[in-house]
Amino acid sequence: MKIIVKTTLLSSILIFSSCATIISGSRQNVEILSEPSSAKVYINEIEIGKTPVQKNLKRNQEYQLVLKLDGYKTYQTILEKKFNAWYIGNVAFGGLIGLIIDPITGAMHKLKPEEIDGNLKSGTTYKTERGNLFIKISMDIDPNSEKVGQLEKLE
Amino acid sequence: MKKITRTLLLMAVIGITSCSPKITSNFTNPQPKLSIDENVALLDIDHDLPENVVKVGDLRFQDSMFSTDCSFNSLMTQARNEARKNGANIVKVIDKKKPDLWSSCYRLKIELYKYEGDVSSLNQYKLKID
Repeated sequence: MKIIVKTTLLSSILIFSSCATIISGSRQNVEILSEPSSAKVYINEIEIGKTPVQKNLKRNQEYQLVLKLDGYKTYQTILEKKFNAWYIGNVAFGGLIGLIIDPITGAMHKLKPEEIDGNLKSGTTYKTERGNLFIKISMDIDPNSEKVGQLEKLE
Repeated sequence: MKKITRTLLLMAVIGITSCSPKITSNFTNPQPKLSIDENVALLDIDHDLPENVVKVGDLRFQDSMFSTDCSFNSLMTQARNEARKNGANIVKVIDKKKPDLWSSCYRLKIELYKYEGDVSSLNQYKLKID
């Protein structure tokens, strides 16, 4: 019986010792929305689609995010890697393995829009739900552009 | 208590040092910064450098022992950012070591150049998101 208890305990420690990797995974789902929608989204200068758009990104990298929409100023920010609190779970479980594995998989990080002096870039809001990052961007009108007309759907 | 302090210290050290590769740079002829809208060509080893280019500097990416963010795409993105900061519009890989038994990282030697022509017309590496 003691052997079973010991084996179960050891297995639990080994299994749950990489807390952040198990709970968060090495990638984070990022959903980008904009107001108005249909802005072209570029990550590291690669076009990934138009808003609203989702992308599964590695947690251990920083990404440059750019949104472009005709008549609006180009929006630019950095998705930074920040400390993922689940990494602390390794201390609670006493998992030395987790302390090593989580940084290797990148799970010790989470992605967040950059802050300058503690403030997000103007027009940016975000929330994290179940590990997924939702970013909403209000695009600023480009004062240099001039509206010359609008297409309307024929009835 | 001591154990917790040690563990937290270890976590802090890993947290601070992990992920980033070691970058060595040498800019011999920096140029005015480039904007995000100006293209930068990424030339791999097998891509030819055009004629009449001005060398801006060199970059070297090495494994810092704790590096995890060191895929080819990630290093080329970082090289492109450095190029823009120093006014170069060509990133040319001159030496590339792939991940092997000794390192899980790409290790690159890169030269940065300024080219007056249209860099988008050059045969170049197409960056991917990892």
